Amino acid sequence: MPVTDLPSDAIRTSGLRKAFRIKNQSVEAVSGIDLTVAAGQIFGFLGPNGAGKTTTLRILTTLLPADAGEAFVAGADVRRRPQQVRRRIGYVGQLGGADASATGRENLLLQGRLYGMSAAQTARRTDELIEAFDLGAFADRTVRSYSGGQRRRLEVALGIMHRPPVLFLDEPTTGLDPQNRANLWDQLRELRGTGTTIFLTTHYLDEADQLSDRLAIIDHGRVIAEGTPAGLKQRYSGDMIDITPTLPPASLPSLEQDLASDPFVRGARAEGDRIRLSVTDPTRAMAAVFGLLAGRGIGIRAASLAQPSLDDVFLRETGRSLRDAGPPAGPGAATTAGEKVPA
Amino acid sequence: MTFALHTALFFRRKVLETLRQPVWIVTGLSTPLLYLALFEPLLRSVAGGAGLPRGQVLDVFVPGILALMAFGAGMGAGWVVIWELDSGVIERLRVTPASRFALLLGTVLRDVVMFAVPAVLVIAIAIGFGFSAHWGGLALMLVLLAGLTAACSAASSALGIGLKQIGSLAAVVTGVQLPLTLLSGILLPLSLGPRWLQVLGHLNPMYYAVEAARDLTAGTIATAAVGIGFGVTAAAAALALWWGTRSYHHAMT
Repeated sequence: MPVTDLPSDAIRTSGLRKAFRIKNQSVEAVSGIDLTVAAGQIFGFLGPNGAGKTTTLRILTTLLPADAGEAFVAGADVRRRPQQVRRRIGYVGQLGGADASATGRENLLLQGRLYGMSAAQTARRTDELIEAFDLGAFADRTVRSYSGGQRRRLEVALGIMHRPPVLFLDEPTTGLDPQNRANLWDQLRELRGTGTTIFLTTHYLDEADQLSDRLAIIDHGRVIAEGTPAGLKQRYSGDMIDITPTLPPASLPSLEQDLASDPFVRGARAEGDRIRLSVTDPTRAMAAVFGLLAGRGIGIRAASLAQPSLDDVFLRETGRSLRDAGPPAGPGAATTAGEKVPA
Repeated sequence: MTFALHTALFFRRKVLETLRQPVWIVTGLSTPLLYLALFEPLLRSVAGGAGLPRGQVLDVFVPGILALMAFGAGMGAGWVVIWELDSGVIERLRVTPASRFALLLGTVLRDVVMFAVPAVLVIAIAIGFGFSAHWGGLALMLVLLAGLTAACSAASSALGIGLKQIGSLAAVVTGVQLPLTLLSGILLPLSLGPRWLQVLGHLNPMYYAVEAARDLTAGTIATAAVGIGFGVTAAAAALALWWGTRSYHHAMT
């Protein structure tokens, strides 16, 4: 049975691949991604910068053709029926996409007409969105004068102008202050309440954890883990150990490397005065670690089984911390030179 | 019809953008007027001879200035395209069902208007200074040069999308601008120059438009130069529009 016949799936991909030529070398950004996103969910796509998140999103939104594999979005084949897909999706890109030389209202009015809404429909919907996103005070000023938060609200409003059943957002809260970030989360949850499927990429752990109903963790173009945030963390709950040695925090990184080379340890990460270990067998790993530390005359202040975070899931699967895996995260990170290459 | 609607919407968007930056309207007009005021007297003093008869300097010079305006009005498009790529505007529009050709055409039509309006003003002023106009020929010449603007505008957008960087675009456009304008005989007819210069000129599509423009302003419409000028310009515009549309299909930061 073709995958299009499953109406409850808003997005379905199989074997998606995409390579880029960079300096005469072929670099695979997406290496066989299989995803299923049920309708009405917020689906988080978590991974470090350069993991292939944006490339996947661009394939799903018809911006970029895949080299191989299939993708169906809102029931339409992305490769064969891109126009159908475009009519059924909204998109809020990493770069924003609001036209700075036009007013907020003009941006919205144009967007509506492009989706085939009548002038009257578009005007009504524009007023509605200006109200819902609290844009009224500056809707008739050019976007150039907007603050970052105001601009982002307009861009999300542009993305849902035509009430698309599926909305894509690429790093939607990068560069936003905590207040605007929390507001955007609320708005996305409200949208989910109206039945919209939301697919968002993020490199923020807390965002993926708190906002998504389900999430996929992506690294080097592959999905390395998928599930609900709670389920993913639960899956590794017995495998995390925190060790607090009697050492100053500055000397932990070298110890972290030594510990990571133990056969029972899959990954290690220094966090403040302690080291978090992802292990295969907690009992034997604990014994091995105690032995190693004792052999060096290093004492242990505390040792415990730890509640895993999403970062631990990443650590467990890749041996690296998501925090260390890409360029520094935070405001402006999305516009660093490294992200200019479609990644 | 969706395509016509989208073209009108994008044209309107570009016109509003231009009206909000009146500095471009001012420079669009001041450049040709400066040529008329500061260069034409110089030309007048060296005139005399078959190619540039004394007393008809404006008749030779005005079509050249208008061709320069047509070129300039089109070549600016690429800068804005790069800025729109960087701010994600083009990416957003590419995810909508909007026609890519309409997206390109909105800018092209705005540029044609931005050529035609100051062109009419320059003609009016030149007539006051003794430019002898032939109305039918002038109208046809404006159509021909509008085609040149369209070709330049579409090519500039395509270049902007392809090069992605303002610096690269500036290098290419300034690098191409001088040979293209010099080898079209915009300031002085190439017929005044040596044979090798004329041969080089024949490799330049703009040359044919300028030659046709000179015939048309003189009121000699049914000439081979006019036919060739329209043919070459139409072909260049069609090619550039195809290139520009294709570029929009794949535009990516």
